[in-house]
Amino acid sequence: MIGRATAVALIAVGVVLTATAMVLPWYSTAYAGGVEVVVRAWGTEILNKPGDWPAGELSPWYGVPVVVTVLLLVAGVWITRAALAGAAGQVGAVGVIGALVVSERGHAVEQQGDFAVGFGLVFLVVGTLVALAGAVAAQREAA
Amino acid sequence: MRRVLGLVLLGLAAAAAVGATFLPFSELLIRLAPGQPQTAYVTTGWSTQFGATKDEHGPLFGIPVVVAAAAVLAGMRWRKVAYAGAAGLAGATGMLFVYLLNAISFHQEGNIAIDPALQAGFGNGVWVLMTAVVVAFAGVVIHPDD
Repeated sequence: MIGRATAVALIAVGVVLTATAMVLPWYSTAYAGGVEVVVRAWGTEILNKPGDWPAGELSPWYGVPVVVTVLLLVAGVWITRAALAGAAGQVGAVGVIGALVVSERGHAVEQQGDFAVGFGLVFLVVGTLVALAGAVAAQREAA
Repeated sequence: MRRVLGLVLLGLAAAAAVGATFLPFSELLIRLAPGQPQTAYVTTGWSTQFGATKDEHGPLFGIPVVVAAAAVLAGMRWRKVAYAGAAGLAGATGMLFVYLLNAISFHQEGNIAIDPALQAGFGNGVWVLMTAVVVAFAGVVIHPDD
């Protein structure tokens, strides 16, 4: 049985890992000619962009929903239900990112590009799972 | 009565969320050349289609949505599971919204020179999904466990 202090510590570790993920690359794809697409929480960076690259900016701010879930996790230190909402919400958000990563990897392989998962994505997934463990433990403790 | 209503709302939310994955999340209608019929670029939870061509690696957004919907359904028995399911559904919807918002803008900016009359926007799936989130939380509020 995990006590409240441990549950709160797990949530805190989850928050720190997730916050770190916000500043690290999530995944990248390298194509011929040195073109590299790097996806982060706050936009997509295209290195050595060729002249015929499609117009428009495909640069979603994936960090926005994650910041909301992190704020709920932080509130969860005092309000246990907020921690559960934050952790579960983050699981849902990461699920969508997971679907995108699988898709992007498929496109990269098809176009003979090199796909790589970044530390940001690893921190995000681990942070989400740790926070979820803490949030569930906090619920059990409160019950 | 309250008990029945709570269970019905959770069931409706789960069904709406799953149903939403089969509806368009985003749509782009574009004329690739003057005089040609419009071609539709449609993203659902299970496929991305450009006209008759299917993107073999289209993102399967339906998976996280269905998992969250299953948690909402399981929450008919346990209120906290319903609450977590509703939150998971909200998280998936929020992230999907952020992705689609940018993708729609990308479609508009990138293709406006090809067809200035193109139409790009959210599909009904997104609105149904958002409604499912609201209904799921409503179901949690009046859950029979209370």
